[in-house]
Amino acid sequence: MRVLGGRITVTNGVTLTIEPGTVIKGQAGAGANATALLIARGGKLMAEGTATLPIIFTSIADEITPEDVVAGRFASPNLEPTVNGLWGGVIVLGNAQISASNDNGDVSEVQIEGIPTSDQNGLYGGNNDADNSGVIRYISIRHGGTNIGSGNEINGLTLGGVGSGTVVENVEIVGNQDDGIEFFGGTVNVKNLISWNVGDDGIDTDQAWRGTLDNFVVITPAGHCFELDGPEGTFPGTHTIKNGSIIASTEDRVSEDLINVDDNTGVDLSNLYFTGIAEGQKINRVTASAVTFTNIMFDVAQADLASHVNGAVPAGVTAGGTPQANVSTLNWTWASKSGALSGL
Amino acid sequence: MKKTLFFLFIFVLTQGFSQNGIIRGVVIDDAVGESIIGANVFVKDNPTSGAVTDLDGSFSFSLPAGTYTLQVKYIGYQTITIDDVVSDPKEENVLGTIRLSEGDLELDEVVVTAKVIKTSEVALLTLKRKSAVMMDGISSAKFKQVGDATAVEAAKRVTGVSIEGGKYVYVRGLGDRYSKSMLNNVDIPGLDPDKNTLQMDIFPTNLIDNIIISKNFAAEMPADFTGGLLNIETKDFPERKLLSVSVSTSYNPQMNLNSDYLTYNGGGTDFLGFDDGTRALPAGAQDGSAPFPFVNSNQEVSDFAKSFNPTLGARRTTSPMDFSASFSMANQIGLKNSTNSLGYIFSLSYKTDYKYYDDVVYGEFQKTLSPTEYQMNYATVQSGQLGEKNVLLGGLAGIAYKTAKSKYRLTLLHLQNGESRAGQFDIDNNGAAVGQSGYIAKSDNLEYNQRGLTNVLINGVHKYDDGNWEVDWRLSPTLSSISDPDIRKTAFTYTPTNTFFSAGAGGNPSRIWRSLTEVNGIGKVDITRKHLLFDNPGKLKFGLSNTYKFRDYEILSYDIQFFANQSWDSTDPNAVLNPENIYPNEPNAIYFQSGNGRLNPNAYQSNSNNAAAYISEEFQLLKKLNAVIGLRAEYFVQRHTGRDQLYANGDKINGRNLDNEVVLESLDLFPTANFIYGLTDMQNLRASYSRTIARPSFKELSFAQILDPITNRIFNGSLFTYSSWNGQLVSTNIDNMDLRWELFMENGQIFSVSAFAKAFNNPIELVRIPEQQTSTEYQPRNVGDGFLYGFEVEFRKDLDFITPAMKNFNISGNLTIIESMIEMTDVEFNSRQSYLKDGETLDRNRQMAGQSPYVINGGVSYNSDDLGLDVGVFYNVKGPTLTIVGAGLFPDIYMKPFHSLNFSVLKKIGKNQNTTIDFKVANILNSKLQSVYQSYNADDQIFNSINPGISFGLGLSHNF
Repeated sequence: MRVLGGRITVTNGVTLTIEPGTVIKGQAGAGANATALLIARGGKLMAEGTATLPIIFTSIADEITPEDVVAGRFASPNLEPTVNGLWGGVIVLGNAQISASNDNGDVSEVQIEGIPTSDQNGLYGGNNDADNSGVIRYISIRHGGTNIGSGNEINGLTLGGVGSGTVVENVEIVGNQDDGIEFFGGTVNVKNLISWNVGDDGIDTDQAWRGTLDNFVVITPAGHCFELDGPEGTFPGTHTIKNGSIIASTEDRVSEDLINVDDNTGVDLSNLYFTGIAEGQKINRVTASAVTFTNIMFDVAQADLASHVNGAVPAGVTAGGTPQANVSTLNWTWASKSGALSGL
Repeated sequence: MKKTLFFLFIFVLTQGFSQNGIIRGVVIDDAVGESIIGANVFVKDNPTSGAVTDLDGSFSFSLPAGTYTLQVKYIGYQTITIDDVVSDPKEENVLGTIRLSEGDLELDEVVVTAKVIKTSEVALLTLKRKSAVMMDGISSAKFKQVGDATAVEAAKRVTGVSIEGGKYVYVRGLGDRYSKSMLNNVDIPGLDPDKNTLQMDIFPTNLIDNIIISKNFAAEMPADFTGGLLNIETKDFPERKLLSVSVSTSYNPQMNLNSDYLTYNGGGTDFLGFDDGTRALPAGAQDGSAPFPFVNSNQEVSDFAKSFNPTLGARRTTSPMDFSASFSMANQIGLKNSTNSLGYIFSLSYKTDYKYYDDVVYGEFQKTLSPTEYQMNYATVQSGQLGEKNVLLGGLAGIAYKTAKSKYRLTLLHLQNGESRAGQFDIDNNGAAVGQSGYIAKSDNLEYNQRGLTNVLINGVHKYDDGNWEVDWRLSPTLSSISDPDIRKTAFTYTPTNTFFSAGAGGNPSRIWRSLTEVNGIGKVDITRKHLLFDNPGKLKFGLSNTYKFRDYEILSYDIQFFANQSWDSTDPNAVLNPENIYPNEPNAIYFQSGNGRLNPNAYQSNSNNAAAYISEEFQLLKKLNAVIGLRAEYFVQRHTGRDQLYANGDKINGRNLDNEVVLESLDLFPTANFIYGLTDMQNLRASYSRTIARPSFKELSFAQILDPITNRIFNGSLFTYSSWNGQLVSTNIDNMDLRWELFMENGQIFSVSAFAKAFNNPIELVRIPEQQTSTEYQPRNVGDGFLYGFEVEFRKDLDFITPAMKNFNISGNLTIIESMIEMTDVEFNSRQSYLKDGETLDRNRQMAGQSPYVINGGVSYNSDDLGLDVGVFYNVKGPTLTIVGAGLFPDIYMKPFHSLNFSVLKKIGKNQNTTIDFKVANILNSKLQSVYQSYNADDQIFNSINPGISFGLGLSHNF
């Protein structure tokens, strides 16, 4: 077991390797005192867990031990999966191109959300789309997301300008105070992901992320299930989100929008199944020209479908359907073990 | 932390009672306005009754009741005979300024009456006319005439100054960075130590001898000013006994007696300007850590949360009227069996006022990238109401002792200020804006700002050799402290389905404690030697000074967190910390999380030392051409103890930690040359050159990150290296040139025309950090070189030239037009270029931040001594001023002109005009104070907006 005290930064040229089965606990703190693991541009994180020995990032309040992990007890013995804000999160930054608010090259880099301006290691973005920030496999990030100021907090997994040479697979985010996973530009691909009970958006994309999210589950974020923004500069980019199952509300948790896109968002959405849809939950916009809907299924009566779309229901959005994520790849997660994936 | 209350020194001094009256006055050299030491003043018929003027040129002696003829004699000067001098045992007879002209002691005699002497021009005006340095000022004689109660009201009568916020005085539209204030010729930090200028509304005029504003630099002045140096000199030997009481009240329909007024539950001593501990950091939170669920026991976590003051919300109540009262006394006493005398001054003032702004707006706006979309996008707009209560308590005491050749004085000043603020805001964050997530929230903001300032001045003046040598030394320690205990922000986020605290939206409730302590110590000695140079009078000045400053600063913060799902029956902020919501009680299970590391990146200690030496010579270059040539050297060192967040977070390799390390060190030379050519006795032509400096402040040269919780804007110290910024903030060197023609007329009338130019090397501006898009962050940085030039017209004119009936009317004013430019850095130029709109052109130069393009001051007043009536209307405006330099996405912010129009009428009543009633109307035009974002072809958008409203004041004062 390791304790993360403060903001630990893996700087340019440095590689941090985390052994399978490691439990890393962040100390308490907010603001300047927030704990986080920050992989700066040029740094590498080699966190290769396995389905039987995942790597767990959590809080010092969590009583889980490496022995629990070895014994297959991946759930926290003492914390509810909704508890959040106990520490920061994992931030990976790279040199892949981002679409920040300027295309002239002078603002090709910006400061990542959650890290104050005073820390230059919080800068991301560049020109190397094939950039490699390491391997992240079988990790569970729990109870994080502490804030450094209002509207400026840490996501479960933040990927800023991360390049396609980076491997991100089999990741679980539990009860983060901000978004589950947030992409800021870059080209990294992610597959086999769970975003469970986060405090803000389930999946958040910005600055023309150009990768693919494949095979994932989003369960009851407090914000939007998908918060998908467009480019902020003139540099264009489209991402792909496919093969996902989403639970939009349960008895005690209700998300905001099912899908929230901006006018300039570029995303291809396909094979998504939304269930647990509550009254008032909808797609906020269907007029964005670079957003495509293919085989998007809402588990509601046909008669109610229109009430969940702000505007004319696109041809690719239908009522009914079946779960689209292959949850067998997610059997190792706390969510799966707790039964939260039942019915998917 | 308890504050020690004042000790009130009441002088119980009884004078030897007799049937004699006291005669006082000052003798000056008419040509230069300087005092004459050793002149004989005596009763013409009885030369043994009289006195010799002392080192101030003052005399004081007693005579049995009656009417006398006095004579004033001094070798090399005409003799003056003064008729009708009355000695009255009940009241001192203060003759005022007696002016001696060069001539023959025996042959030339001038006869005047006592009345004429009293209304003659005061010494200050002669000094102004003859001084080689461009200066202006106002003296006690004028205060008495017009009856202004505080220094700030008096200062508005000095041409060329503008008053801001009712208390700060600026010259020529140059911002605070380039201004400076002194008290009794020593640096004194204001109540706001990050401001160079002193709050002027706290000095009662009846204790002020004069206020002098110097517009250019002389070697004996500190070199760190560029626009104007203002000095307030308190009285040492009051001319007559003074015992005065005044009360006043004011009413602003928007702010007073308004039932919507916002406040919050504070402490029992708020009315005295300090907190009684109600807002103190809980005992267990002093070390910056917090108990944590499962790490500490439930009891510890819960007790810790309960140790915080549970008040989080503002409440509405009816605001009272503003009120102020002051008491002052002063006198001088001749000591028995000696020519020595003792003077004292004492004053106590109390002021409390209420502000309520019902329409406050704070906005964050962005440019759009499209060159054809001109309008700006909002990121966040906060709008709401803000209530403020301001208490100011001031005490000033001074005692002075004068012998034939020396004068000593001790002055003590304490100011105590407490400002309590409560606001309620609707927050609208726009998810479509860059870096923003979009949310709606309603916040309650509670703040308290407490300031204390204690200054001691010990001063000695010695004159030798008939005043040809003068030594003046001063020691002045100051202790100031500022704290913002328990700044609270509580913002519920509103979604269509839920109301709760959302860290990613309106934020979790947060609390901040800030404290600052600053100690200043100043020692200086100034020596003046009058001598003959090439058979003409010359004056050599030289001296040394040392100024040491130390500051200790710390910010501690705590956030409220929830260990369970939130569920709120009530959105009353004051119910949030009810025991049923505290951990481990669910729902909500509130606990406090510390924002403070083991090492606090938001704490620093800084110190600076400035050792200075100067020499200057004033001499006659040609018959009518006088010159002062001087050189000042200052060796300045600033040290800093602090660390960046990386180091505080444990990264000892990449983090930076400074342990009393030098962050600024320089030896600078400040040459100055001032020339004055007397075209006639009343007409001068002046030229001057000087070099001055503007140094970064402690806050600017630090690692501190200071969040303004209300506006959510963050100030970053300049030591952070960031992208194009290398973290090396340096001083600004300024070359100043002035040219002026001036015409003096009787009765203080003046007309002058000036031209000036200033070249700034490495000016410092507050720059928006372009790479940070989620939060609004600023950093002071050196930007490209700057240059400004300007023209100024000043006048003060009686209107009797229109018709003699208007002799009591006068108009005064000044118009300053300034063209300033700064060369943009490549980064700024490129970032502006990439956001250029169609049709917009970009120049490499732009206006300097903080520099107004024009300043207009104007006033019409009516003053009649006989009626004891003074009526005035004053107008002031500054042109649109670039306050924060934008970059890329972020537009420039300009302060809009605030058209300030104020009216005052003052009437003295009673037998001896001992009672004064005054009535004032402030902000007659009901102007708003606004700063706006500006972008090409786009509508202005609000950065800050408050409406001060129109206020009416009524005051009464009485001299016993």
